[in-house]
Amino acid sequence: MILNEAEAVLDPVADIDGFLLCCLVDASTGMILASRKDQDDISMPTAAAGAAEIANVLSLLAGELPMDGLEDVMVTFRSQLYVIRLMSEDPDPNILLLVILDRTRANLALARREIRNFCVNFAA
Amino acid sequence: MSQVPGLRRARQLTASVLPIRAADGDPSLIAGRLRKLDAAGSTGMLPFSGGGDGAIYFRDGKVIYAESDRTPGPAASTYQAYADGLPPLGRIMAIRAVTEPIIDAALELFTAQVRQAKFRPARLPDVALSSGIGVETLLAEIGRRQRLMKQLSAVLTPETVVSRNPHLRSDSVRISAGQWALLIRVTHGSTPRNLAWELGRSVFCTVVDVYRLLVLRLLLAAGQVPENGLAVMSFVRAASLKKGDTMPVIDARTAAEDAL
Repeated sequence: MILNEAEAVLDPVADIDGFLLCCLVDASTGMILASRKDQDDISMPTAAAGAAEIANVLSLLAGELPMDGLEDVMVTFRSQLYVIRLMSEDPDPNILLLVILDRTRANLALARREIRNFCVNFAA
Repeated sequence: MSQVPGLRRARQLTASVLPIRAADGDPSLIAGRLRKLDAAGSTGMLPFSGGGDGAIYFRDGKVIYAESDRTPGPAASTYQAYADGLPPLGRIMAIRAVTEPIIDAALELFTAQVRQAKFRPARLPDVALSSGIGVETLLAEIGRRQRLMKQLSAVLTPETVVSRNPHLRSDSVRISAGQWALLIRVTHGSTPRNLAWELGRSVFCTVVDVYRLLVLRLLLAAGQVPENGLAVMSFVRAASLKKGDTMPVIDARTAAEDAL
């Protein structure tokens, strides 16, 4: 995590049921800007790098097909949920939020709504 | 850019380097030196010279600023935005605008064959981060970026000459405003490094953006034959590789032959 000063801004995300990890990632460079973590099992750099690549690939797809911009991505693993959300509609800056949730404890619909609200307030 | 007086000072300081210290451009030695400064909670400046002049500034063992004469420094307007009351995203972007050139300069100092001089007290730059970057965090990020640059090196380096692809209509491709700004500045003899200076952006970011424009075939790199040897940039591989692992370069033709 590069920006120590930014860690506190992620507090609301850490309150989501089933929260395991979240980080703000600069998708253009893959650099983690700020992070919060409740579990050490997950490699933050690898998860952040994967989220950045997913967002970049899907943004490329959105550029080639008649779609409005990418909003969020949900990836379901057997034990975890990954929610990747772009922090602003403008691709410059290309900052995304990755939230990893424990699938047994999280409600995806509620979590997605809380993440969306967080992002709206974050950019306001 | 703001780093010129500081670099002149760094050059003066490194001129007095003792002979025994004059060949310590090994990145592992530099990393060891930074760790010692971290452990000691040092405040001051570590000047570099040789492959490029520059300096890394510390406060209480944290890196608060770095500069290199081979990478652009932060834009002057950044500091004002950093100080102003901004919404969280704006504030993070302002901090990032200062942090990115610092990491870019540190990456350059680690990559070029630079010599360290004696660490000494110095007036800290006004543009420095208020809470610095931990040395281990900085080293991890530099390592990740070096692995990405190694992945790209088969196709692209900061010194590779690039040109616009004359056979493609760029108006048919949707790219970001930053990539567009880069694309329209490409002229005869452009390299990622001089484009970075022109745009006032980090060299690393510019290399990555140029690579993405190469993939989109909007740019061509000198000597590149994409069909035969496409180096694939992967953030995941760069993040998860252990020390000593090699970075595979995927040759599309060989891979196809292997599959047959």
